[in-house]
Amino acid sequence: MYPAPIQDYAAPTSVDEALKALSSFGEDAQFIAGGQSLMQAIKARLIQPSGLVDLQHVAELKGVTSDGDGVRIGAMTRYVNIVGASELDGAYQALRDAAIHVGDRQVRNRGTIGGSLCWNYIAACMPAVAMGLGAEMDLMSGDGATRSLGVEEFLGAPLETARNDGEILLAVRVAAAAANTGSAYSKWGLVADALPVIGVCVRVEVDGSGACANARIGIGGLASGPRNATAGASALNGTAADDEAGIEAALAATADEIDTQSDMWASSDYRKQLIRSTGKTVVQAAIARAQGHGADHPHLQPLTI
Amino acid sequence: MNKTVTITINGEIFEESVPIRMLLTDFIRNIAGLTGTHISCTLEGVCGACTVQINGEAVKSCLTLAVQADGQEITTVEGLATDGELHPLQKSFNEHHALQCGFCTSGILMNTAEFLEKNPNPSESEIRHALIGNLCRCTGYAHIVAAVKGAAQ
Repeated sequence: MYPAPIQDYAAPTSVDEALKALSSFGEDAQFIAGGQSLMQAIKARLIQPSGLVDLQHVAELKGVTSDGDGVRIGAMTRYVNIVGASELDGAYQALRDAAIHVGDRQVRNRGTIGGSLCWNYIAACMPAVAMGLGAEMDLMSGDGATRSLGVEEFLGAPLETARNDGEILLAVRVAAAAANTGSAYSKWGLVADALPVIGVCVRVEVDGSGACANARIGIGGLASGPRNATAGASALNGTAADDEAGIEAALAATADEIDTQSDMWASSDYRKQLIRSTGKTVVQAAIARAQGHGADHPHLQPLTI
Repeated sequence: MNKTVTITINGEIFEESVPIRMLLTDFIRNIAGLTGTHISCTLEGVCGACTVQINGEAVKSCLTLAVQADGQEITTVEGLATDGELHPLQKSFNEHHALQCGFCTSGILMNTAEFLEKNPNPSESEIRHALIGNLCRCTGYAHIVAAVKGAAQ
């Protein structure tokens, strides 16, 4: 299918130029990141942009950096580069779990973390991961003013975010976690590497007594948008890392607190079962990573891209 | 609205004024006349038949605008052989009977050629994972997996 007509196109090389170009193209202009979702939407006439500002050449929006405060992932960092970022281990490894199974090789060569978060599609992995890791979004508006939003504030219902028209997402930041913290992500879909019917991201610390602490659980695939499962996380805190029944109880609490929808892919009850079963694998992988082993957890084995 | 682009395809430079909404697939097929890049699903980007390489990386040309490829190097299936010598993957697909109707083949070749450069000795599960973005409705994939493995060896 041919895309809807587009009046203007710019391929800037700096954030400043990108913001100016977007403003000059009028209110129906759009940034295009990797374009793996946006091009589908333009072809389906879900979006008919007056102009496109292509961010692929803006070097300052790309790359993963880390320091004592945590990691910063430029909004235009592609999945293929997230998979290859060795600094995203331990507490951050959920990002790589998700990136390696997004779409397919071709999508991972183009698709970006920032594009996924700004699109906030219901069946997407990065929103659930950002929720599970408690990420922060750095935004800049046309006048150069910047602000940072926590993930709960940034991500709304599917296809909605707190990003204003004319505002650009610069980077995603994840604050450094305590030592002995691990994270993991997995999804369930109808075929291999399908869009997630349910996606679960867990970040957890294993404290000196061998119990879970500071847990966060992010759930994706929900009609209401990605959720931070606080009751489930509270139930996980204090549970011994090797207490399988306790982990199952915490995930039952997670399934209970989440409103799941029924649709052609899965019933509401089946989604709750997926939260419990997929979640158990994810919690156990995150715990293994927190304990310093399990980078290659058998159920979340990274594959070569 | 039109924009003038300069796109190198298989080493040949094409400079054309094209509508901004023109897909890279259509530039390759209709402007460059290289019809080895195929169009199947066109809307969702799920079939992979239109896969080409931009600067050596496999991408779906139906999810890319021609203007986004301005100044970049495209390789299509027509550019895979060098000096009349078929690429090892092409030979292996022939030897393993890895195609029947052949419609999906060019996209699979352009994807797996890059895959094998990054991972010269893949396991079967890695090959199958690499093929997720390419639909084949004839072969059941067994011969395709064997051909990719054969080209790696």
